[in-house]
Amino acid sequence: MTKEKVIKEKWNWKKEMRLLPGYIIVMIWVLFTFLLLGWVAAASFSTTKEIFLGNALKFESGIHFENYVKAWTTSDVSTFFSNSLVYASISCVLLIAICAPAAYVLSRFDFIANKIIQSSFVSAMGVPAVMIVLPLFGLVANWNILNHTFSNRIILIFLYVGINIPYTTIFLLTFFSNLSRTFEEAAAIDGCSPMKTFWKIMLPMAQPGIITVTIFNFINVWNEYFMSLIFANSDKVRSVAVGLYSMINSMKYTGDYAGMFAAVVIVFLPTFILYLFLSEKIIAGVTGGAIKG
Amino acid sequence: MKKNKTMIIAFTAPAVLMFIIVFLYPICRTLAMSFFKIEGVTDDVSKWSFVGISNFIRLFQTKLFLTSMWNMFRIWLVGGILVMCLALLFAVIITSGIRFKSFFRAVIYMPNIVSAVALATMWLQYVYSPKFGLLKSVFATLHLDGLAKIQYLDTTNKFWALLFAYCFGMVGYHMLIFASGIERIGAEYYEAATLDGANKVRQFYYITLPLLKGVIKTNITMWSVSSVAFFVWSQLFSTVTADTATITPMVYMYLQIFGAGNSVTERNAGLGAAIGVLLSICVVIIFWVCNLALKDDDIEF
Repeated sequence: MTKEKVIKEKWNWKKEMRLLPGYIIVMIWVLFTFLLLGWVAAASFSTTKEIFLGNALKFESGIHFENYVKAWTTSDVSTFFSNSLVYASISCVLLIAICAPAAYVLSRFDFIANKIIQSSFVSAMGVPAVMIVLPLFGLVANWNILNHTFSNRIILIFLYVGINIPYTTIFLLTFFSNLSRTFEEAAAIDGCSPMKTFWKIMLPMAQPGIITVTIFNFINVWNEYFMSLIFANSDKVRSVAVGLYSMINSMKYTGDYAGMFAAVVIVFLPTFILYLFLSEKIIAGVTGGAIKG
Repeated sequence: MKKNKTMIIAFTAPAVLMFIIVFLYPICRTLAMSFFKIEGVTDDVSKWSFVGISNFIRLFQTKLFLTSMWNMFRIWLVGGILVMCLALLFAVIITSGIRFKSFFRAVIYMPNIVSAVALATMWLQYVYSPKFGLLKSVFATLHLDGLAKIQYLDTTNKFWALLFAYCFGMVGYHMLIFASGIERIGAEYYEAATLDGANKVRQFYYITLPLLKGVIKTNITMWSVSSVAFFVWSQLFSTVTADTATITPMVYMYLQIFGAGNSVTERNAGLGAAIGVLLSICVVIIFWVCNLALKDDDIEF
């Protein structure tokens, strides 16, 4: 920490010059990223005609919010958007409710199945979706679940929760292992039962970890594509990723490019805003989780 | 102790139960299915007919499937080399003490949090667009008319266009893992090396790379897992249902089981299961080879 401060205080021109190639390479990449996102954002406020003339960035005919209105209302983006919002929020809550207790027990108690559970969860993170999708689809289709909107939604949430359980558990397990045991010992001396200790003391203490993993789960569920494609049976229950795909396909034929870019912006905006505020937390989560796994 | 037992069971049961339903049971059943001929995915076990390994043989005789495996392999190898080199380069730059480090890091990682469908659409409809695309306009302003005229999305170029766009999104993630590995290497190694007169390049080859073995392994494993699951990009880049230029095993399996494309040779869910088994074997082999080739337990730091 102190070292970083020293660097910040004085400009060492010799050092900066030596780093110049590095600056240039990174700057090119960053510039390209900004150009990509910036242009798409600009195009979403433009008109299809201007986009084709290559004038998307000039806004000659003013700013067109109606692209968003159109995408939101006529192309069902609002349905996909609220579906995904509901799926992601409920899944995140359920994941914590299921995984936090499991992770805590796995991090604190020695029992025969402990190692087995841990290693099966870790290996499950490398299992390709093709390996699990067929039997699940067989089950679900046989129970006639996909023909009803409500049960279809339930099954989607169930799957989102299920596929994210190994990752969430392992992430929280690492977090709990790093919490000191002295709190539980003190609580035990005061006569607090292990279960109560967990709910009253350990769970609140794990809050930073819970928040980080919830952000990840939210982004994962929001962007999930393969499962949604197979298990969402109608436009009414589709999530944004799949909805956007079918919409892009239809917009290619109607030729409404401005509307299409507006839809793209609507889909990436929630995760993008989350990232704007929480990028440090997300980045710390990626490196922490990956090194362990 | 007895109290703990109830607690252990009560706390782990929901997670384990979900795991069994969503992972363990389907994996076992898929494994079994791969040895049977099954007319429909929903068919009862009694309707399955045992065919041994003929599902696998049949897959290897199907040209479209072989193309899809070849595409996946190219994505894994070429994309892997490209992504790993770029990620390592960025990680080294980011950790070299440049200013605005966290800003650069955040921007480079950003494509990872954007929905793959949205990101792929940006590339497809904007960057590669032959009418108003980024590449076209940049090359046109530079008067490189030959480059400006390239149709990035025609059959010959499409695969590489897809691969490049995909790699752009993946670099950030692997960069983060490399960077965190580099940051854990103690500064004293570099100080000692500098005192001994080793330059930056030599320090990179003799200190950074050997100490990054474990991190490289993590990165290769993660990359392999995501290459095997390659689906969204391929589906978005193919305008027809079975586009041989961009098809991957996942897409092939999707078409085989769920799609109504004319590429489907026969109705057999066993083939789909066999694809799943093959892909899992790929992941296991890569993981095993990595563990053999990059033993990281001999260096502690």
